[in-house]
Amino acid sequence: MKKEPGKIVIAVAGQPNSGKSTIFNMLTGARQHVANYPGVTVEKKTGFYRYKGDTVELVDLPGTYSLTSYTQEERIARDFLLHEKPAAIVNIVDASNLERNLYLTFQLGEMGIPLVIALNMMDVAKSRGFKIDTEELARQLKASVVPTVGNRGKGKKELEEAIAATYRNTATVPFHLDYGEALEISLNSLEKRLKENPGLSESYSLRWMAIKLMENDSEAKKILEKKGK
Amino acid sequence: MTLSDVKPGGECCIVEIHIGDMTGQRLLDMGFIPGAKIKVIRNAPLVDPVDLLIKGYHVSIRHSEAKFVEVTPL
Repeated sequence: MKKEPGKIVIAVAGQPNSGKSTIFNMLTGARQHVANYPGVTVEKKTGFYRYKGDTVELVDLPGTYSLTSYTQEERIARDFLLHEKPAAIVNIVDASNLERNLYLTFQLGEMGIPLVIALNMMDVAKSRGFKIDTEELARQLKASVVPTVGNRGKGKKELEEAIAATYRNTATVPFHLDYGEALEISLNSLEKRLKENPGLSESYSLRWMAIKLMENDSEAKKILEKKGK
Repeated sequence: MTLSDVKPGGECCIVEIHIGDMTGQRLLDMGFIPGAKIKVIRNAPLVDPVDLLIKGYHVSIRHSEAKFVEVTPL
């Protein structure tokens, strides 16, 4: 795809049935383009909207529970984030299913790309009696958290504002999950060794690489073999 | 006992997942972690798959997969 100057690329990620497409449609309206990812028949939906003079291009990633190398959808989502380097990720989270959804949020945050959380289906969460402390969630995830109800168009303005604030702010603090002493010792020493490869640290979050290598992730090992020599 | 042995209506708690690779990872991704509580809702008309309630949401898995989930009844 041709890159236009001044265009800001934002990825939209979320678990299946989190309302990803609803939020995507809410933001882009009818200005959408559907294609396939090159070489595979997984749908790639892109769209854009304008916000205070900026042209924001949204790329709808396949819905995934996680970001491992096991399935094609997950590899596509991950490769896009790794190689296309979007300015931010809008992570659509089903507020009525917070615990399961936050697992993907952690995986996205660890890639080192700034996050905006759209806490979607807030109406369903409320009707189930959930009270979500969005401020505390934002503080712990080091990301903006915007409550939305996609199918009613609620939260659109706030979400656009949060997205703009995120891509305009270059000094975002990466999300960091503490895995406990036993794992952190290994992760830190692995990260230190990865740092010795300048080709690697330019293109990838080393913390993310270290975590994936400890998971014995096949794609991470491939990257290391290619770049790490 | 395994999750596959729990009858509809029964509740249990996950002890361990005895499978790695893709299926094990997917189960973990969906919240099948040690300590998680599961309620078995019903079996499909031909027994497989089985409908479960875990962490407040419904998910259906095959009995062949549920066999790898070691549980204790609640």
